[in-house]
Amino acid sequence: MKIKDCHNFSDFRKLAKKKLPSPIFHYIDGAADDEITYNRNTNAYNDVDLVPNVLRGVENIDLSTTIFGKKLDLPFYCAPTALQRLFHYDGERAVGKAAQKFKTMFGVSALATVSVEEISSIIDTPKLFQFYFHKDRGLNDAVLERVKAAKFDVMALTVDTITGGNRERDLRTGFTSPPRLTLSSLYSFLTKPMWGINYLTKGKFELPHLQDHVSEGTDIATSIGSYFSTMLDQSMNWNDAEKLCSKWGGHFALKGVMSVEDAKRAVDIGCTGIMVSNHGGRQLDGSRSPFDQLAAIVDAVGDKIDVICEGGIQRGTHMLKALSIGAKACSGGRLYLYALAAAGQAGVERALNQYREEIERGMKLMGCTKISDLNRNNLRFRKI
Amino acid sequence: MRLKDCHNFEDFRKLAKKKLPSPIFHYIDGGSDDEVTLNRNTSSFNDYDLVPSVLNDVSNTDMSTTVLGEKIDFPLFPAATAMHRLYHHEGERASAKAVEKMGTIFGTSTMGTVSIEEIAKINKGPKLFQLYIHKDRGLTDNLLERCREAGFNSMCLTVDTVVAGNRERDRRTGFTTPPKLTLGSLLSFALHPGWTINNLIHEKFKLANIVHMTQKGTSIDKSVIDYINEQFDPAMNWKDAEYCVKKWNGPFALKGVMSVEDAKKAIDIGCTAVMISNHGGRQLDGSRAPFDQLAEIVDAVGDKIEVILDGGVRRGTHVLKALCLGAKACSFGKGYLFALAAGGQKGVEKILENMKAEINRDMKLMGCKNVGELNSLKLIHRK
Repeated sequence: MKIKDCHNFSDFRKLAKKKLPSPIFHYIDGAADDEITYNRNTNAYNDVDLVPNVLRGVENIDLSTTIFGKKLDLPFYCAPTALQRLFHYDGERAVGKAAQKFKTMFGVSALATVSVEEISSIIDTPKLFQFYFHKDRGLNDAVLERVKAAKFDVMALTVDTITGGNRERDLRTGFTSPPRLTLSSLYSFLTKPMWGINYLTKGKFELPHLQDHVSEGTDIATSIGSYFSTMLDQSMNWNDAEKLCSKWGGHFALKGVMSVEDAKRAVDIGCTGIMVSNHGGRQLDGSRSPFDQLAAIVDAVGDKIDVICEGGIQRGTHMLKALSIGAKACSGGRLYLYALAAAGQAGVERALNQYREEIERGMKLMGCTKISDLNRNNLRFRKI
Repeated sequence: MRLKDCHNFEDFRKLAKKKLPSPIFHYIDGGSDDEVTLNRNTSSFNDYDLVPSVLNDVSNTDMSTTVLGEKIDFPLFPAATAMHRLYHHEGERASAKAVEKMGTIFGTSTMGTVSIEEIAKINKGPKLFQLYIHKDRGLTDNLLERCREAGFNSMCLTVDTVVAGNRERDRRTGFTTPPKLTLGSLLSFALHPGWTINNLIHEKFKLANIVHMTQKGTSIDKSVIDYINEQFDPAMNWKDAEYCVKKWNGPFALKGVMSVEDAKKAIDIGCTAVMISNHGGRQLDGSRAPFDQLAEIVDAVGDKIEVILDGGVRRGTHVLKALCLGAKACSFGKGYLFALAAGGQKGVEKILENMKAEINRDMKLMGCKNVGELNSLKLIHRK
């Protein structure tokens, strides 16, 4: 199987599985507990049907949307995800360049493996930084200043990782960052020699936003679950979020808001957007899927802030459904991570192009020429 | 497995799979994207249950209905589908003869492989022509005139194909028309020598209705996806449809209408019927199943325009359920195409006989003497 054989999400996933040592593949692929929420995130889209309109003259389609004051050519962007150089040696460099090529937003994680300064020097398209609220306030301030200096457009505070989710696949495979060889994972690393060679020869693995502050940033192997549980501040509350929001002084989002009540408070503290998300099913299993919850949130705050639907998206039509309900944009992690693992920048570009084509085709078949043509009249929820 | 062993849709599908090279089988069998809509088209019928009435003297049942100005013997007809000669060397000649014998409407496609004129000679029953609007508008006028000349009764304009659906099976199998041998498909053609020999010794494959207008007609050597995206006009709008309705000046259907709003516009421009259809799940995946949407459309416009249900029909009971919700008739594509591949004219006759027998049996079991007795009180949505 080669990258040119990848026609959809599950093809990229298959190819990523071939390329990655299994602890790393399962770190991307897995989720919390029984993965019920992870599966529902995607299945939720299949309980609602699109009702197209015909004969509307659809030769020209405008897929652009504006979020956080920035116009994006596509109604979706690359969600911030951690540790990208584990998946491909170019890591965030590859994803950032691909996002720039398609003129959409690139989200960079606090646990990124390429620095915000370098990313700023590579791409000039909209950039979002995803912030984890650490116990070490000095670290928090330093990161905020660096991101500001690097001229990022949006700051997103993740609020759904107050403690690590129970990612059982990681427990079984012994996934740590940086990867640690164990007797049981040795075979898996040995059978993917290209990954190992690239990992060892293409620059040292680092967490540049954290390494000056925490030993975990450099070379003590830790699981992500235990990182969240030990390093992040569980006392984080609305006051902290509000202070951070005003300290940033620009477009600010909360990532991982799921209740209508919290969405309203996000408006109150000055956020300009929220990501309706359950962290890709990786945190609280059994929690509601973003798409299932989207309408309630949009109804409450959709006219005041940008609501972004994040989770489970594998198809252009999934995005059409979220946009029809009133999301301003969609985002996803696995959406491009498998493609990154499969073929680096070229892989991510291929994936983004496929989703772009899927949305454009879907829009034409829906009889819509611009994103704002999509609305709830075009949806029917199946009676269950 | 032989034709006489084919008792239902799935049997015909299995036999077709044995007879056809795999790229061709999967072209019929596949849908778009994840095939969610393709599967829902059929499974939607199973969310509704029939409630029979008993002791009604059903010794004589009348299955006939009138649709698009024609009385047909039973409320089902084969939808117009493309390129029958890919599935069986006799192509539309076989299906047209079988349908005439069974007393229902025969639909033929702009992308047919036997000409309008020849079909009119073979089939004296009611005939429908399915129109695609090409970028070359001269082609539209030409087709409309030829159909009138040939004595076709009704016209239908397909409106759900402004761009081709993402048929991923075709990408994987490398499906093209005419079939092209590739390293990947060679084995599959070699393993189906009957099809391959018939394809080679009979006349050359061509899109008989448009061959004279476009050089693509003879040898596309491309996927249907590329053909649609290059030749069909995405700018097509209601004015274009109205132009065709006026020019045809006879029974006219829009095929692929799914919203009430569009069904109302169809009435405004003078259509006789709308075909509620998502192109057999081959276009917009995630779009609503025709049966799920049927009641909404019938309730809004069923008294002003004929509503035909197209999509997912595999059983007589599916037809009955659609009629209960107010459809005038149903049409189906995949079922009779598998039958055509499985056994040519005999195959199509057999599946139509099967479906007609199922409808007849099921009407008796429902206690209905004629299709007018099927109504929404006889159907319950399972919650």
